[in-house]
Amino acid sequence: MIPRFLRKGLFLTGVILAVGFSLSPFLFFVLSAFKTENQITAIPPVWLPDFSFVSFQSAVFKHHLFHYLLNSLIVGGTATLVSLSLGALAGYALARLPRRYARFILMGVLACAMFPQITIAGPIWRFLRAVGWLNQYHGLILPYVALTLPLCIWILALFFREIPEELESAALVDGCTRPGVLIRIILPLSTPGLFTAGILTFIYSWNEFFLALLIMTDPARQTMPVGIALFQGEHSIPWGEIAAASLITTLPLIILVLFFQRRIVDGLSAGAIKG
Amino acid sequence: MVMRCFLPKIIICGILILFGSWHLIAAAAPSTTEIVFLTWKPSQPAAWEKLIQKFQKKHPHITVKRQVSPHSSTEYHAIITQRLKNRDPSVDVFLMDVVWPPEFANAGWALDLTPRFPESEQKKFLKGPISAGTWRGKIYGVPCYLAAGLFYYRKDLLEKYHFNPPRTWPEMIQQGEVILRGESDPGLYIYSAQFKQYEGLVCNMLEFLRSNGGDILDRNTGRVLLDRPPAVEATRFVRDRIIGNAAPRGVVTYEEPESLSLFTQGKAIFHRNWPYAWAVADDPRKSAISGKVGVGLLPAFKGHNHAATLGGWHFGINTFSKHPDAAWQFIRFMTSKESQKTLALEAGLAPTRKSVYEDPTIQQKMPHLIAFLPSFKKAASRPPSPIYPMLSQELQRFFSTAIIKKNVALPSLAHTSAGRLKKLLALEAMMVK
Amino acid sequence: MIRKNQFFLLLLLPALSLLVLFILIPVGQSFYLSFHRVISGLPQLGEAMVGFENYRDLFHDPVARHSLWTTVIFVGVTTFFELLIGLFLALLMHRHFPGRGALRAAVLIPWAIPTVVAAQMWRFLMNDAYGTVNYLLFGTETASYVPWLAYPATALGAIILADIWKTASFAALLILAGLQVIPPEINQAGLVDGAGSWQRFRHITWPLIRPAVMVALLFRTIDAFRVFDLAYVLTQGGPADATNVLQLYGYKKMFVEGWMGYGSAISVCIFTMALFLAVVYVRAVGRRLLEARV
Repeated sequence: MIPRFLRKGLFLTGVILAVGFSLSPFLFFVLSAFKTENQITAIPPVWLPDFSFVSFQSAVFKHHLFHYLLNSLIVGGTATLVSLSLGALAGYALARLPRRYARFILMGVLACAMFPQITIAGPIWRFLRAVGWLNQYHGLILPYVALTLPLCIWILALFFREIPEELESAALVDGCTRPGVLIRIILPLSTPGLFTAGILTFIYSWNEFFLALLIMTDPARQTMPVGIALFQGEHSIPWGEIAAASLITTLPLIILVLFFQRRIVDGLSAGAIKG
Repeated sequence: MVMRCFLPKIIICGILILFGSWHLIAAAAPSTTEIVFLTWKPSQPAAWEKLIQKFQKKHPHITVKRQVSPHSSTEYHAIITQRLKNRDPSVDVFLMDVVWPPEFANAGWALDLTPRFPESEQKKFLKGPISAGTWRGKIYGVPCYLAAGLFYYRKDLLEKYHFNPPRTWPEMIQQGEVILRGESDPGLYIYSAQFKQYEGLVCNMLEFLRSNGGDILDRNTGRVLLDRPPAVEATRFVRDRIIGNAAPRGVVTYEEPESLSLFTQGKAIFHRNWPYAWAVADDPRKSAISGKVGVGLLPAFKGHNHAATLGGWHFGINTFSKHPDAAWQFIRFMTSKESQKTLALEAGLAPTRKSVYEDPTIQQKMPHLIAFLPSFKKAASRPPSPIYPMLSQELQRFFSTAIIKKNVALPSLAHTSAGRLKKLLALEAMMVK
Repeated sequence: MIRKNQFFLLLLLPALSLLVLFILIPVGQSFYLSFHRVISGLPQLGEAMVGFENYRDLFHDPVARHSLWTTVIFVGVTTFFELLIGLFLALLMHRHFPGRGALRAAVLIPWAIPTVVAAQMWRFLMNDAYGTVNYLLFGTETASYVPWLAYPATALGAIILADIWKTASFAALLILAGLQVIPPEINQAGLVDGAGSWQRFRHITWPLIRPAVMVALLFRTIDAFRVFDLAYVLTQGGPADATNVLQLYGYKKMFVEGWMGYGSAISVCIFTMALFLAVVYVRAVGRRLLEARV
């Protein structure tokens, strides 16, 4: 048996390694947001920045960062809600259907996640143009839902399957309707799955670049990845502004995660599984 | 009594009359035409904004709606071709990189501008960009601004060691070695340029090839010259004397920004880049060598002329546009002498109209632009072809492999690549024209 | 019985219709295109049906073969490390300790950054003149700095590192969700029975999180096959095609060069290989994924 203090020490080392591994590249890069232009590409590299906020000002005011952030929030938020709803419905169905059908449909859904996004971008673009949805929010939201549904459905189907059918049968006997069962029993018990699927879907929509590039060319509707790509000039990469923008755009996600990770814990301690 | 009977009818008649006259007035006044200008995001948006506002004021019946793409040539190409190949009329005016007009012309995407842009007008522009916008005798692009490969050097270091700017590449290396020995700065290199596997690599290598009397293609006969001795020698020179020697190995990862950064941080004596680099290198806020920079013609190999690759962008009109006349008005305005002068002074974009170079304001405020003019006049474009993107991919692959893999036999590598180029050119020849 | 199944099929309808509209139909169009010769820049050549010619050319294309090899290496190395590190991170994040929320937020940051930004970030960090990686390794001796992206092997390594950094948290999050559903009583029972931590992990935790790990493995492998953004921004496929992963090659063929048919064939191949792998996984290991647990 490993002595207690050594185990604690190992754990602490693990945490430090985890945080270091995740954060340090980002932190080193983000330092550039506080440096002057000369300092950023100085050879040899400059360590301590001058703490100038020029890059932040430029990113926000000259490059309209918040405008792109807003568009990303609208697109990402809506896509997440729709994807979770449709995914929950489908996942529940797949968790309860006979194995043969469920397996077939699940593999089909998985197959949808396997096709390279680059090639389906063209046909999707043509469809959106035909219905006049280019440069509209729903023109980007719906493809994002379709691209994130496979993962949502799989995660949620797996979670719903963990919930014993007896719980449902008992509720049905008690007079609950089938939709009621879904809303009142199944969903509350699967909050870890829901929030996991939700975060992954939101981040996917947040990050997606190629479809956003093709579909949104109207500056009023462009999302954040395209917006940041627009920072670049013909032959210049404004590292300072990009670093500042990266810092600012990661903040909503950190807040989201900090907020929702407690819900994941709460969901567990609801302890309704005991029945 | 009578009033109450007639009042509703009077009111209705009144409304109808008002309605009718409003419609008549609206119909009589010409409605505005909206043209969509799909552009990349300019590095100096204020100058462009100013010009567009000026145009709209001058032509109150035309509004210009802008759609924006990242400046990256590949991304802009993907966006614009996605629209054009699907015959989308929602774009009226777009931009073309200097190598795109043959592709866009042949595919029927760009409108033939010859009727609106006759030779008498074309003569007012520099020859290189005009011929880049021409395909099979017709013109499809109006040059917006141009660029050419220029040779930058540390004039303070050259003065210190009593050198004139080198005329040949080997001379540049010799001068560099002397300076390195004298300066004893381990981080200093002789040369910095763009050798990453991307389009800029083709521009750089073409300059080496042509300054040795070689080329990729013979423009007149269409024969591939990539595996002929002058081209192979030039490639070998880059592989053996430049990459990892005169220039750091890292140059194979450099595009324009990184290579310029090496120069402006004082870590390279000589540098090849486009005209924009002058403003950056001379700006004390962005460069450690401000005031110490000289610019001139690129060196050549002994017995041959110097070469510079042509760059720049053209305006084009969508063949499927519903407002070609309004689009043409816009382009004519944006390429007028005044507009080009504004873009030069406020956005640093080199004009394509000859008259701008004779303008006293330009001569006074941007003397370096006048100094660049000889290079601009001699700049030659990359092989014009409707399948240039395919040729370019093969060339990028070949050059990148050739300059990195030191133990591969260069002639056979060049020969294989030349074979692939020939196959691609045969495809081009299959078009019935 | 029948009414119950009907109800469930109705639930599936919205999701499946979206998938059909935005994925299956475009996929079908791509399949169709892969059997034709279509070149964007040469519309005069028409859209001839050429059967399997594109696939035959692909098979003989040395660049495509090299691309495939590069992609396979990428998939193998990244998936292995991401799952390993993801498992480690998930176990860490599962423990109760003050600051757990902050750890979770920290771990999620790499995944949260848009891939295009992350790629630019690594491009900056790995720069051979002012990059932070070189600074950490060699200090201010700029002459010793290594141009990581200039050598084929290390360039591929850089992309692998960038991907692992970014996506380990995806696996971690999935596995964490799986860990969260394990009732603490089961672990308690194990403690009471005198089982050590490794035994508890191996006999209690591991079997229960296997489904989550399998989902992570499945989706990560499929995504890794389709890697694009990193190679596109960091190296554009260079140097000398060392990082020319399959989807980047397909993109260049389709959108840059205009080979619509050939590019579609490349996509179909990527799809087929991913499908094959998925079927292998599910058959060999994930059977329990889709079966009821005892």
